[in-house]
Amino acid sequence: MIYGSINNDLQKLYLIVTSLLVFGLVTLFSISSDPFSFNSSFSRQIIFILFSLFIFFLLKAVDIKAIHDNSITIYLISIFVCFIPFFMPPVENTSRWIDLGLFYIQPAEYLKCATVIAIAKYLSNNQLAVKDMSTVIVPVLIASLSAFIVLNQPDLGTSVIILVPVLPMLLWAGVNNFTIFLMIIPFITIIAASNDLAFNIWAFLMFVMFMLFQGKLLNRILLYFANIFAGLLFPFFWNNFLNGYQRQRFLDFLNPDLDPMGSSYHIIQSITAIGSGGLFGKGWGQGTQTQLKFLPVQESDFILSVIAEEFGFLGISLIMFLFFMLIKTLLDIAFRCSDYFSSLVIVGLTSILFSHIFINSAMTIGLMPVKGLPTPFVSAGGSFMLLCFVILSLVSNFSKN
Amino acid sequence: MLKIDNKADIFHYRTLMAILTFSMLLLVGRYFHLQIIEHERFFSKSQVNRVKAKASYAPRGLIVDRNGVVIVENSPTYILTVTPYEMKNIEEQFDKISSIISVPIEEIERRYKKYYRGRFLPTVIAKNLSFAQISQIEEMKLDFPGVQYERFDERLYNTELNDMHILGYLRELDRETIPTLDKSSLYRAGELIGWQGVEREYEKELRYSKGVNYIEVDTYGREIENLNSNNIPAYPGKNLVLTIDSELQKFSRNLLEGKKGSIIVSKVNSGEILSIVSSPSYNLSIFRGETSSKEWEELIESEDKPILNRNISGLYPPGSSFKIVTAINLIEKGLLDPEDNLMCAGSYTPQGSSNTFNCWKEDGHGLVNLRKAISESCNVYFYETVQLIKLNEWISTAKKFGFNQLTEIDLPNEIVGLIPDKEFFIDTYGRWGWSERGVLLNMTLGQGDILVTPLQSLRYINHIASKGKNTAKLKINLNKPTEFYEPINLSEQTWVRLYDGLYDVVNSDGGSGWRARQIKTGITLYGKTSTAENPHGEPHAWFNGFFDLNGEKYSLVVMVENGGGGGAVASPIAGELVNFISSNIEFLAKK
Repeated sequence: MIYGSINNDLQKLYLIVTSLLVFGLVTLFSISSDPFSFNSSFSRQIIFILFSLFIFFLLKAVDIKAIHDNSITIYLISIFVCFIPFFMPPVENTSRWIDLGLFYIQPAEYLKCATVIAIAKYLSNNQLAVKDMSTVIVPVLIASLSAFIVLNQPDLGTSVIILVPVLPMLLWAGVNNFTIFLMIIPFITIIAASNDLAFNIWAFLMFVMFMLFQGKLLNRILLYFANIFAGLLFPFFWNNFLNGYQRQRFLDFLNPDLDPMGSSYHIIQSITAIGSGGLFGKGWGQGTQTQLKFLPVQESDFILSVIAEEFGFLGISLIMFLFFMLIKTLLDIAFRCSDYFSSLVIVGLTSILFSHIFINSAMTIGLMPVKGLPTPFVSAGGSFMLLCFVILSLVSNFSKN
Repeated sequence: MLKIDNKADIFHYRTLMAILTFSMLLLVGRYFHLQIIEHERFFSKSQVNRVKAKASYAPRGLIVDRNGVVIVENSPTYILTVTPYEMKNIEEQFDKISSIISVPIEEIERRYKKYYRGRFLPTVIAKNLSFAQISQIEEMKLDFPGVQYERFDERLYNTELNDMHILGYLRELDRETIPTLDKSSLYRAGELIGWQGVEREYEKELRYSKGVNYIEVDTYGREIENLNSNNIPAYPGKNLVLTIDSELQKFSRNLLEGKKGSIIVSKVNSGEILSIVSSPSYNLSIFRGETSSKEWEELIESEDKPILNRNISGLYPPGSSFKIVTAINLIEKGLLDPEDNLMCAGSYTPQGSSNTFNCWKEDGHGLVNLRKAISESCNVYFYETVQLIKLNEWISTAKKFGFNQLTEIDLPNEIVGLIPDKEFFIDTYGRWGWSERGVLLNMTLGQGDILVTPLQSLRYINHIASKGKNTAKLKINLNKPTEFYEPINLSEQTWVRLYDGLYDVVNSDGGSGWRARQIKTGITLYGKTSTAENPHGEPHAWFNGFFDLNGEKYSLVVMVENGGGGGAVASPIAGELVNFISSNIEFLAKK
């Protein structure tokens, strides 16, 4: 498979995307009370797709070299645009959207792409000594700046998504394993810090792992204690730097039964919808949880729950298979495309799509806190649909090299 | 083209593929767990989630008279409810609604506060809306989020028979009252409950039994579909048949037109009340929704006390009818020969006293025996004879006839009245402030501290009419089983003597109740007039009587409050009643 042709991969990609779009539309048709009215999520989705297709072809015509050469400019402009909502009247108490009259756009969506492109540009530099530990500094800074701005909008979900591509891209670029290990363990330390026993066990495991890696002993001991320290600092950070609603979402995630009418109400209703679907589902348009509107934001955040309820485990497995094939095909393209920058961009964009898929699915089944992240090509929503097509366009454009 | 070749490593590709595969398997595994392993649990949960139980209603029972004439029925109107959390800009909506249904906004707000049950529950804010008003609201439905209307049965009263004192009325339940009610009836705030009269007494029978409709709802509580299976139907309340004869009732009401007082007619053998009127009354339609609190207050504060049901809650001195109590004691104990004549010179001075007690007839009755004393209501005869009776015995005789007790009629708010005894006098006047002889002089005339209700007076006359045996308990629900009061055992001689006196009251030339005499109908009416002095003005005029007609015994009480003399005022009314009964006897006999 890995040694097939790029053209075949692209055709496969389009086929998968088309299947996902159709699946999404069929589902939206089921939950719209009047699908053919202009205001239904179904008709709007069709309009979004047509518009996104237009942008898709427009972007395909853009010279890849122009993107490569101007990647820093693109990044800075995107950062700048993300600041605009802070100077506009808040929409739903947040500064995420820019009101363009006809619709809202969420600049953070495109900052995701711009961040990936900027990191790819840096990592594809030939003079870079990728094996050096210091290589990670610039990509982490680029991603952190973006994430920090988005976090203040505030949008915890998107800021997490912006950070995600850094690791796969560093891995792809060949940064050494110890460095990547060092980047992952602080997060585990933080999670472990919530429980004394877990933290002690983790401290021991970490100690063993540090001893197994090569390098200066002193460095390793210092890094080890830095991690322990981070774990101890976390409760302080938790209390002082996270918003009430962010903490609440995290806590709800840990125990959804605590507040059934609050945000964990969403999770409970979603799990009930999914579980009640069974193997074959309740049938198209027959999902009681969905049709009776027990399921919240069902056209976007919880559309997978609708699919699970109405089409059952078979339906959700098919969707999951399509997602798997989507990501695999993208990785194939990244692996096979001829130039390094394109390859890195595609890996970055793929990890964005993947994190959306994973976080959204995990959220609907209670494996992750409610984030308000849509699913690529399936969820209703103009801004995100456009982003997906922009990614698709970049991938097909870059894969030509 | 870009210069740098792709340096991607197969190892890195495989690492990412491994992460991808693992993640997807994790997700699918979780879906499998929820949808296959735990499917049953979530499926039943999803069923419960979507079904809401909603109460359904049926009409309240009708109230009809003994001949099936409908006195109270139901009329469909509309009520307007609001669900607080669905409303936007409550003030503005109330303002619009106020102009459509022409009810002041303050009234709407008052109701909203009074009947509020919670953010998610509909609250009644207006009643008695016409179809036209509802149509207007329906047209502007988009301006009224959270506003719903429902059909609602109101009571509709027969315009000629809307006698509040018997029927009572319905009242909206407020939250404070609910905890005091029977839980099994599932009352909710804003529902109607019988509040007076038979509506209250027979609330359980008249009230519908609530049903339950299972309705599929969405998460906002909006109704999607009625799931007809498993619904529990609502059943209408039972109809109530009253012992009242509506024609006689109307006639009685007309007799008291413009007067204060009461008229009660009953069948002695069954205790059925044929007519029971308390005057003045008021129009029951004021309870149909629009009554402002002002109108209600006017009613309450009116000096004529239209709210008071005089028959069971009004207290009056009984007057001369109580001379019979003295007479019974005299004959039964053999204290004196009924044929003995006493001299009435127009006044009586007790031995060793300087006070003089006058007879109502200033010139005196001359020689008087018991029969004449009763028929002409001679005071002096009873002043003298009551001196032979012990206070205790006199009181116990009065109590045997049901005074100072409830008649146990099936109407709420009956009161017991007062037959004063030794403890009462000591409490009221002090140990030395009264004398047995003194108070008996008052009591033998049915004056002083004695207070009775007109219905107690009827029971008294029924005891006499049935000669103390098998006196049926008074009742107003025709289907209530007949029960009997404690029998009163007196010698036949006593009854004969009493009947002679009561006969003469109406039928002898000097009888005080001659104006009630039945010359046209030929009915033999027995009776006793009373002219009860009271501190509120003119005396109360009473006539208590009974008669046989076609083998059935009827009894009646007429009381005109501050009306004047029993003979002059109450007797003619009694006469007309008997006349009416005899000419409508076919109608009355029907059931």
